[in-house]
Amino acid sequence: MNIAQQIINGLVLGSGYALIAIGWTVLLGAARLVNFAHGQLYMLGAFTAWAIMQKLGLSYFVAVPLAVLVLGLVGVVLQGMMLRLVMEQNLTSLMIVTLGFGYVFQGGAAKVFGGDPQAFISPVETASIRFGELWFTWQDVITLAGTLLLFAALWLVMNRTRLGAVVRCVAEDPKLAQLFGINAALVYIGVFVFECAAVALAAGLVAPRSPILTSMGFDEVILTFVVVVLGGIGSVGGSLLAGFGLGMFTALFGALVSPAYTTAAAFLVLLAVLVLRPRGFAAR
Amino acid sequence: MTNELEASQIVVRYGGNVAVDGIDVAVPAGAMVGMVGANGAGKSTLINALAGWSRGAPVVRGSVRLGGQSMDGLAPHRRAERGLVLVPEGKGIFADLTVSENLALVRPPADTSDRHAFSMDDIYTLFPRLAERRSHKGGMLSGGERQMVAVSRALRAAPRVLLLDEPSAGLAPRLVHELLSTMRALVDRGLSLLLVEQNVRATLELVDELYLLERGRLVAKGPAAAMKNDPRILEAYLGSLTA
Repeated sequence: MNIAQQIINGLVLGSGYALIAIGWTVLLGAARLVNFAHGQLYMLGAFTAWAIMQKLGLSYFVAVPLAVLVLGLVGVVLQGMMLRLVMEQNLTSLMIVTLGFGYVFQGGAAKVFGGDPQAFISPVETASIRFGELWFTWQDVITLAGTLLLFAALWLVMNRTRLGAVVRCVAEDPKLAQLFGINAALVYIGVFVFECAAVALAAGLVAPRSPILTSMGFDEVILTFVVVVLGGIGSVGGSLLAGFGLGMFTALFGALVSPAYTTAAAFLVLLAVLVLRPRGFAAR
Repeated sequence: MTNELEASQIVVRYGGNVAVDGIDVAVPAGAMVGMVGANGAGKSTLINALAGWSRGAPVVRGSVRLGGQSMDGLAPHRRAERGLVLVPEGKGIFADLTVSENLALVRPPADTSDRHAFSMDDIYTLFPRLAERRSHKGGMLSGGERQMVAVSRALRAAPRVLLLDEPSAGLAPRLVHELLSTMRALVDRGLSLLLVEQNVRATLELVDELYLLERGRLVAKGPAAAMKNDPRILEAYLGSLTA
């Protein structure tokens, strides 16, 4: 077993986890909302990009940005429907509503795209790079770089701009924000659009690693949950750390112990962390 | 004198309870109007209704006009944009944001005619303490400093009429006096202000006009000088305070 290769695998896996989770981090941090349709939105992002490539014959590099745009629009529609519940911060109903959206997407996608696995192929997934014993693809490089760039940009916007301050203030107290002249409803829509667009980008970059199915999404939502909670709910830096931590753990545990138990082991780590640091890594 | 703010027949219901029962309010241009009454008289409910804002889900009826323009049906952030700016009771700033971030959330209007605009320099001259604390988070400030930020935030919005709900709550008496005197000085420079207060004595010294509310109804109103000698005020507030 090559430790250096496993570290690379861990970084690649971890950047994927962090990227899939980034939208939820902002959603939970900024809007105090959960979205259990997150996994199905990931599936929808992958299938949208795949369909654009298959039916319109466009290249992967056009299809992924288009899928991001489409999912952003889906976000506007979804948040429009949930707006009253969101403004009332009716979290229990929102959990059920988003769970419902997830099932509707899954059923709808199966109807439209069929139940068979499809090959969502990125032209750079097969372009590999070798350094002696070490091996990775250009897709891995793009995913890693894209993740780091997106997290850096998000951190800057959230902490260094007025827009970030607006999002943070709505997270703290949407009612009070209204008195500051801020349209809290619009901020919620913006955050939700970001979530949907970000998960579509994640799907565009991560999903080509394996065949895509309309039934996928559950693993992604569970992993996102782990990353977001480990990172400290709503913490951008914490999510990045937790994503890479989980990726590294999965790669090393899979190589050293057994890939069959990695999810169970990951949850064991989650439990241990939450017992010792109930507010996640980012807690001060 | 024209009224900058005019509200008529304001009724506020929470479920089956009538919290405010048909009250008219008028704030003349450049005047300071005080509103006093016991706990539960409906003062906060009324001033919140003027701003179209609430933490609960009340049913509000009646009409509100700002500078002659109807505010009815406008969301609270729209009313704030038009210059009807409320500083709510209690939590008035964001704890996770620094003082300067709190103040920068407000976008001053482009057109400040009919409005009372305050630059950041004006704010820091008014409250020098805030200049020292500008990079501190709201949650690290003292009660008095928080109230200064809350008021400053409202001033940055260039209010046409400022609505202040119990700015003195939880403050030391000296700070209350300082804050209310500062507000009076702003009114003397032309600001129109509606002040809800528990502290009747301090309010009477500063306001031009006083409203007395009891159980959701207006029981007395008049110039401050006359209200000082109103038996209801003497008996219920000043009397008990001197005793």
